[in-house]
Amino acid sequence: MSIFVPMQDQAVSVSELTYVIKGLLEEGIGDVLVSGEISNFKQHSSGHRYFTLKDADAQIGAVMWRTRSLTFRPEDGMRVLVRGRLSVYPPQGKYQIDVSAMRPEGVGDLHRAFEQLREALRARGLFDADRKVAIPRRPRSVGIATSQTGAALQDMLSTINRRYPLLDVVFRPTLVQGDGAADDIAKAIIELDAAKLDVIIIGRGGGSLEDLWSFNTEVVAMAIANARTPIISAVGHETDVTISDFVADVRAETPTAAAVLVTPITVDDLLEALDERMLGMTSIVRTRIDDMLETAESFVDGRAARRVTERIHLRQQRVDELVSRTSRGIQQHTNRMRQHVEHMTQYLTSLHPLAPLRRGYAVVERNGVVLGPSGRVQTGDTLVVQRFSESSTVEVRTTTPPTILPPTSEHHGNEGENSNT
Amino acid sequence: MATKAKTQTLEDKLKRLEEVAALLDRGDASIDEQLAMYEEGMRLAQECRTYLEEAELKVRRLSGEPDESDD
Repeated sequence: MSIFVPMQDQAVSVSELTYVIKGLLEEGIGDVLVSGEISNFKQHSSGHRYFTLKDADAQIGAVMWRTRSLTFRPEDGMRVLVRGRLSVYPPQGKYQIDVSAMRPEGVGDLHRAFEQLREALRARGLFDADRKVAIPRRPRSVGIATSQTGAALQDMLSTINRRYPLLDVVFRPTLVQGDGAADDIAKAIIELDAAKLDVIIIGRGGGSLEDLWSFNTEVVAMAIANARTPIISAVGHETDVTISDFVADVRAETPTAAAVLVTPITVDDLLEALDERMLGMTSIVRTRIDDMLETAESFVDGRAARRVTERIHLRQQRVDELVSRTSRGIQQHTNRMRQHVEHMTQYLTSLHPLAPLRRGYAVVERNGVVLGPSGRVQTGDTLVVQRFSESSTVEVRTTTPPTILPPTSEHHGNEGENSNT
Repeated sequence: MATKAKTQTLEDKLKRLEEVAALLDRGDASIDEQLAMYEEGMRLAQECRTYLEEAELKVRRLSGEPDESDD
């Protein structure tokens, strides 16, 4: 049954035998996922790492080449989970695991690895405040690196959509847990950084310390540190803290909180500001018109003028109603305002006090106030008579009922004509 | 690019609106000029409103390309 059963008494060389063993082990077993404890860990000057993986009853050699990225510093006694291929090393007749990935397994070891890396990175200045880059006041674009299937993505997109859907969102589907996740996150950061966006969010939803482990790796920390784009780390829940949180420019408690951070100004804020602007502009124009109206009123007195101002006031009241409605109302309001001002200009011209004066009439004032049709003049009053060409101060000797009846209310204080000095 | 965008972007319009409002606020223009500014300001504000109200989130996707990372 074995492929190596001597048929005859024919010897094989050691190499031949080893070759067969190598084939058996490497093809027959191949990929392995092994849990064990590290012992005899040695990092050779070449950068390759050699160690033994053992448990109570057995041990097996392991090698991890320099090119394989390590996400923590292995120490003897640490429990680890190792992924690799079984391989045979013919020069020494040894079989060993060619490790492609390794991470701490026990919670205690994870914590230890976390502390180790945190201290190492802190010592290298990666957490320094002066490294932090601020998020722009109003980002226009954001890159998101997270799992395509996770709730985190949906949370972020719906938050952004609700708050500021104008944001240009670039999503990079990213592996966030399991083998290769750390490398993929780092790669996603590099890619999004190259896309020249205003800000990048890396993150995922909650999970166990092991689930979040990729964010506690040096490769991710370095990718964050080397990126030029501001990065928000949004890993897990409020209480979860990862190395990426320390290196990132900003830590968000949750992915949703990160989405809020990149949309500091919402569409609602903008709409509100626009409404305020519209009302502000309307009030400026209205005040201007009110001022003009007041000027018109100060020029003249009398029923005709009052009727004009009443009509204008009615319009203003309508304007007020319109303004308090929607912005479409404000648009209409613009047109009314313009009409209103055209009318006003016409009336102002016709009511200008100089117009009657040119025709020989005079304006009579008492104590600086224009006397209207109903103004009573008494003997002894001092009046000022304004004519087109001069102004004179007169004293009233007598008053009598009018000798000329005005045709209608078109009556501009010509009583002054009756008085003599 | 939004399909609705004319030559002016939202940013341009908001900026112009601020200018117009500031000019109006200064109050040294004639009433006719003020009304012209007012009209322009209202038109801009209305256009921005419509644009903001109709905005919808669009997500671009960056697929993981074959990588030439040098680690």
